[in-house]
Amino acid sequence: MKRLLDHTTVRRVVALLLLLAVWETASRLNWLDPFYAPAPSAIGKVLFSLFAEGQIWTHLEATFSAAILGLVAGLALGIVLGFVAALMPLLAQLIEPVMILLNAIPRVILAPLFVIWLGIELASKVALALILVAVLIFFAVYSGIKEVDQRLVERVRTLGGDRRVLIREVYVPSVTAWVMGSLKVAVGFAFTGAIVGEFVASSRGLGYLLQFAQSSYNAALTIALITLIMAFVIVLFAISEWLERRLLRWRYV
Amino acid sequence: MLRVRNLSVGYGAEPVLEGIDLEVKTGEFASLIGPSGSGKTSVLRAVTRLLQPLAGRVDLDLAPNDIGFLFQDDALLPWRTARQNVALGLRIRGNAAKEAEDMADHWLGRLGLEVFGDRYPRQLSGGQRKRVAIAQVLALRPKLLLMDEPFASLDAIVRTRITQELLAWVEQEHMAVLLVTHDLEEAISVSDVVYVLSQGPRAGIRARHEIPIPRPRNLLETRRDPCFAPLLTTLWDDLSAASVTDDSAQ
Repeated sequence: MKRLLDHTTVRRVVALLLLLAVWETASRLNWLDPFYAPAPSAIGKVLFSLFAEGQIWTHLEATFSAAILGLVAGLALGIVLGFVAALMPLLAQLIEPVMILLNAIPRVILAPLFVIWLGIELASKVALALILVAVLIFFAVYSGIKEVDQRLVERVRTLGGDRRVLIREVYVPSVTAWVMGSLKVAVGFAFTGAIVGEFVASSRGLGYLLQFAQSSYNAALTIALITLIMAFVIVLFAISEWLERRLLRWRYV
Repeated sequence: MLRVRNLSVGYGAEPVLEGIDLEVKTGEFASLIGPSGSGKTSVLRAVTRLLQPLAGRVDLDLAPNDIGFLFQDDALLPWRTARQNVALGLRIRGNAAKEAEDMADHWLGRLGLEVFGDRYPRQLSGGQRKRVAIAQVLALRPKLLLMDEPFASLDAIVRTRITQELLAWVEQEHMAVLLVTHDLEEAISVSDVVYVLSQGPRAGIRARHEIPIPRPRNLLETRRDPCFAPLLTTLWDDLSAASVTDDSAQ
């Protein structure tokens, strides 16, 4: 037992189960008001019914579509703009101030504007997720190139490498390490964009459901949805980590 | 093969080096020694066009692809295996990927690294990484080899062994070499001619000494050559005088 508890994951699971047990006991002994803090079993029942009755799927589809599309588009845009700004100083003078400005503000304040421009359907949520992710990745790529190890650049140049070889052999791998380091944060940002966009105006999605749960003072549904989002983000984190270990194999050997 | 004429190099308005003249002939092993900060590395960087000279010229009787540069740091790409690192220069020079990797394996084998081809640099020791860097440069069969204190970070035994291997290869291939070092004994042991730089800024060539030790050489045996000790004393005096002159100037 002691050896089993030495394992970090086991310790974390045990701690979580203990917390849930204490919470459940406190609820059953009426130490907690179920209106504000329903028992874990009650939250579990709500979660089960969401899936059993099938009403959750359309909301999951909406949120996942917005988050994943925003993540992919944001990654692509951030990488392209980062490379362009780092390798073309003239364009950097145009791109960098805009990115610094976007980075300085809480970008979720753009949500109402995207709704006005793009409507209450998927596009406005994708746009918000995209802008959140793109700015983050832009700085990862831009810094990655600016701070690339100059010894490697000189090494490749003395081997006869031109700009194309430098990009392929030095800049892209170096930037990949930076981007992979930001990927987990980007996943979180993509979901933030999708859900906040749904909060502002939408007809479906987990953000819409959360808004509904809050307006009807349904704490069980609210916590159930938060748990669901956390579970999905943890799965995506695990996928990001797997991807990082594959792409940056040289770092983990 | 390499002629440097009246070269001035700097990182700003004031030259680090000024009026440098030196020459390396085909098959000649030249060393450049000098105090720290005298700009020894800058000479090599100017020769390879990594640094634009403020004045003077660098004349080469060979194509840029015939120059090999062995850096102070091994500077291997961390995301490429030893084989891929060695193959990189070959691929840049137009060899097909398979052919380049076969040649890389051959060169890794020559340097005693045949079983390390699939390892990444972080999985290799300092000496092994240095050997990979040597294989990377030698695989390109350079006619002129520039070396910037390449073995400074290695312990004495590994350093002597690798230097001896490289020296044997250079002698066999009749390669021209310009070595930057601040190790006087190493300079005498491997070189045909040693240039002494004065202290920078505005460092210049203070002296040039021919080393009449016959080839092929054995690093340990060169120290027993009758001219070794007097040469060491001369180089030591040159360097000390350069430092004293500069100290008094300051």
